[in-house]
Amino acid sequence: MFDKIKDWIDKRTGLRDIVDSKLRTFKVPDDSGFMSTLGAVALAAFIVQVITGIFLMMYYVPHPDHAFGSIRTINNEVPFGWLFRSIHVVGSNIIIVVAFIHLLRVLARISYKRPREMTWMSGSLMFFIILFFCISGYLLSWNQLSYWSTTIITNMPTFFPLLGDMFANFLRGDEFVSGATITRFFSFHVAFLPFIFVLLVGLHLLLVWRTGLAGSKSGGDASVSGSLREVHDNGIPLFPDYFTKELFMSFVYISVIFFIISFFPLMFHPPAAGVEANPLAMPDEIRPPWYFIAPYVLIRIIPNKFIGISMLLLISAVFLLWPFIDMKEERDLGKRPYLRASIIAGVVIWLALTLGWRLL
Amino acid sequence: MRSKVILVITMLMMASLSHADYKDVFEREFVHKPWVGARLVEEGVCVDCHTAEDMREDYLTIPQEWKRSIHFDNGVSCHDCHGGDPDDAAVSCGTPHSGFVGTPEHIGIPDMCGKCHIGIKDSFNSGGHGKALKTTGEGPNCVTCHGSHAIQKANIDIINQVQCQKCHSYERAKIMKQALFMTEKRIGDLEDSIIELKNAGASTEEEERALFRTHAEFRTLFHSIDVNLVKNRTDEFTKKLDELETAIASIYDDLTFRRNFSGFLLLLFASMSVIIYIRQKRP
Repeated sequence: MFDKIKDWIDKRTGLRDIVDSKLRTFKVPDDSGFMSTLGAVALAAFIVQVITGIFLMMYYVPHPDHAFGSIRTINNEVPFGWLFRSIHVVGSNIIIVVAFIHLLRVLARISYKRPREMTWMSGSLMFFIILFFCISGYLLSWNQLSYWSTTIITNMPTFFPLLGDMFANFLRGDEFVSGATITRFFSFHVAFLPFIFVLLVGLHLLLVWRTGLAGSKSGGDASVSGSLREVHDNGIPLFPDYFTKELFMSFVYISVIFFIISFFPLMFHPPAAGVEANPLAMPDEIRPPWYFIAPYVLIRIIPNKFIGISMLLLISAVFLLWPFIDMKEERDLGKRPYLRASIIAGVVIWLALTLGWRLL
Repeated sequence: MRSKVILVITMLMMASLSHADYKDVFEREFVHKPWVGARLVEEGVCVDCHTAEDMREDYLTIPQEWKRSIHFDNGVSCHDCHGGDPDDAAVSCGTPHSGFVGTPEHIGIPDMCGKCHIGIKDSFNSGGHGKALKTTGEGPNCVTCHGSHAIQKANIDIINQVQCQKCHSYERAKIMKQALFMTEKRIGDLEDSIIELKNAGASTEEEERALFRTHAEFRTLFHSIDVNLVKNRTDEFTKKLDELETAIASIYDDLTFRRNFSGFLLLLFASMSVIIYIRQKRP
């Protein structure tokens, strides 16, 4: 029965030929482990967010009078609404971890070198967009936590002279976080950002396809249809071997989501998230979501706010353009002590700022 | 062809006309409209004067005390109790015709508080405390036990030896406290459960309102300081609290179901991961 369906589809689409000629012949490095599949896991995580997000959109009302109530309706009255919302909330947090580890791994393996500069740039742009996805989605629940966090985050650009205020007002659609911000963030979250993100995913996958996966033992670059591709003649086929690894890791990712929902349901739902936004009642403690604590603390500890925000922009620009800044040819991190020390220092500082913010 | 073009243009014009005020509506409804959560606690001119340098020293602390109070938390402002016009000091403090009462007479305090706490005022007036106040003009009034501007949410501990012995022995008050204890404790436990459920994202508005009603009714009852009345009606409140406990237990059951269901999905996906892992290890 199943073979008959496959034959029926194959006769009309030639799918088997595409799989055989494109996917089975595409080799990935034979030492590709589970960690090398994190890019695919991030893509799976995005798909999970899209599916759950579409469901939430059916019931969510992007209006300050109804946003909080509609979330409560989804959580308590819509059948299994709590499940979709929990997956969406937990997923929005761990997708950042997955994307960050993926980027860190590429950085540590120095896989961004020629001809993968564009792959790196599209990947890091996607990381920034994921963060923007998270901030814009965070406000939509319209609770005290999200309202005041967004107030902090949208105030950060104002430290930049002239353009800062303009950019902050563009983001908020108002002088402060208001009804205009919620509709604006909603449109960013469900229309503008997904469109840009899908384009970047397409570009990223195309580039990975054209340049091949970077392995520790390269078979050398070959010119394929005018572009350079890293060849792994003794590697493993993308389908089904490597695809199975990706599928395994994607299922592990989903299991982690359910683990958090089952055993730590309040991990991303502190008490202030249960109170409707009130611009006149500032909570005792305001802080941005965990992934924004490090930049927020950095701006706080640098006395001159202009220098603080400039430093953040500079770090982001260096991150984005890193393949063009790192001019050395060496791809072994063991032989790059300064780069190794910089990566470790960067991660330690980020962790220290994120975990130690209460001490400041 | 020409008629089709005219038809399309006409349709577009009609659509534009019907949405001509869209921008205004959008701005009014979405951009500038304050939302439900934005409830303003009016400070008015009262705070301006009561924080000014030339104000009497013992009046200066009033705004700070009020801002720490349960009245402030619930949006109750100066003029809600004292009357007058919060926007005009001259009208408020200068003319008694405005209804402004700065410092009420000792005997008049239950009437001031009773503007809102109507049931409690009636219960108080019918009891020993109220009668003593009315007949002697010197008995206890609301602020004797609750304080005034820094007033906090009351609980059973307000009945204590130090407080009661200011006027009489503690014995009778102790019996009243014992009569109240079990019901008050259950109400406190239910309040904690509702907070816990709210923090977990559960919808508890109905239960919250029911508990508030029951609690307010119960408190109205014991302001009569009639121990027998409290004892006689405790069964009635026990029944109401039983119903509330059942409703809250069902919300807890729902949360347990959620946890178990996502645990089931965890097992499902983890098992699938294991199966895929085993299969991909095969040569």
